[in-house]
Amino acid sequence: MKRNIFLVLLAVGALCSVQSTYAHHAFAAEYDPMKPVTLNGIITRMEWANPHGWIYMDTKEPSGAVKHWMIETAAPSQLSRHGLKKADFTDGMTAVVKGYQGKTDPGLANGRTLVLKDGRSFYIGSVGGPNDGAEPQ
Amino acid sequence: MAFFRRYATSAFVLCGICVLVGCSKPAPEATPAPAAPPYHPVASIREVMNSVIDPNVDVVWNAVKTDIDHGKQIEHAPTNEEEWAAVRHSALTVMEGANLLMMPGRAVAPPGAGSLSPGIELAPDQVRALIDKSPSGWNQFARSLQDSVQPALAAIDKKDPQALFEAGDKIDEVCESCHQVFWYPAPAAGTSASAR
Repeated sequence: MKRNIFLVLLAVGALCSVQSTYAHHAFAAEYDPMKPVTLNGIITRMEWANPHGWIYMDTKEPSGAVKHWMIETAAPSQLSRHGLKKADFTDGMTAVVKGYQGKTDPGLANGRTLVLKDGRSFYIGSVGGPNDGAEPQ
Repeated sequence: MAFFRRYATSAFVLCGICVLVGCSKPAPEATPAPAAPPYHPVASIREVMNSVIDPNVDVVWNAVKTDIDHGKQIEHAPTNEEEWAAVRHSALTVMEGANLLMMPGRAVAPPGAGSLSPGIELAPDQVRALIDKSPSGWNQFARSLQDSVQPALAAIDKKDPQALFEAGDKIDEVCESCHQVFWYPAPAAGTSASAR
């Protein structure tokens, strides 16, 4: 019995450890609609997860330093509807992401569009985001 | 025959009186005042959200996902009875947590607490006003939350990772729908997308 309880707690702990640390909030509570960003860099990781995906990108600062970005995307089902696939995320891929910077975390952004090296462009924004013309018509 | 006629009339009248007396309603009793509910809400809605709903729906959402690390796809899903049981526990907790949200008499936030994002997310008294204005709408969203987790629970019982993943998206849609009405409606927020 004790072993079972331990295993359940272990499993819960393991599941919790990989969760995003961001609580549910309004877009404008986390991101600044007045701070649009265009990020050109290398995508190192993509979390294809609910309720939102996360793109991890490294960009190069003017000083030459590498900056790590964590970019929120729409839910995977929405990404799929817009034609984006898990297989599109390849090792060492470069891409351009347009979106909005986090209010308090300068390495956080909410993505609106993703343009891959081959020129394909995808809408990756959450439903109901800023009406900035990035939405698919 | 005359004997029968003489007593039949009396017997018929007597039976009629019995039927009328037997079928008449009893004297109405005074309606008792409604008893106080046996439950006692302790946590506020915000606390239920942060302590019950959110951490457990995160377990459901995170149970199945793909981590693409430098192009390598790493699939995550429960792999044994204990892990499935843990996800089921969380799914059930969210579903029952929805009942907690519907219980009348629960404060929106702890005493003295304000909006977590003034000007963007409503203050507790504003949320209270919206709930009081449309308690049925509030309850309907809570029921929708409960219903949205049902496919996830079914997927868990079938140990079907793909179905669980697809169910997760629907749960978020319900969360957002409610938040955009009761927490950060568009006029107050300016924008209405969620952020996690």
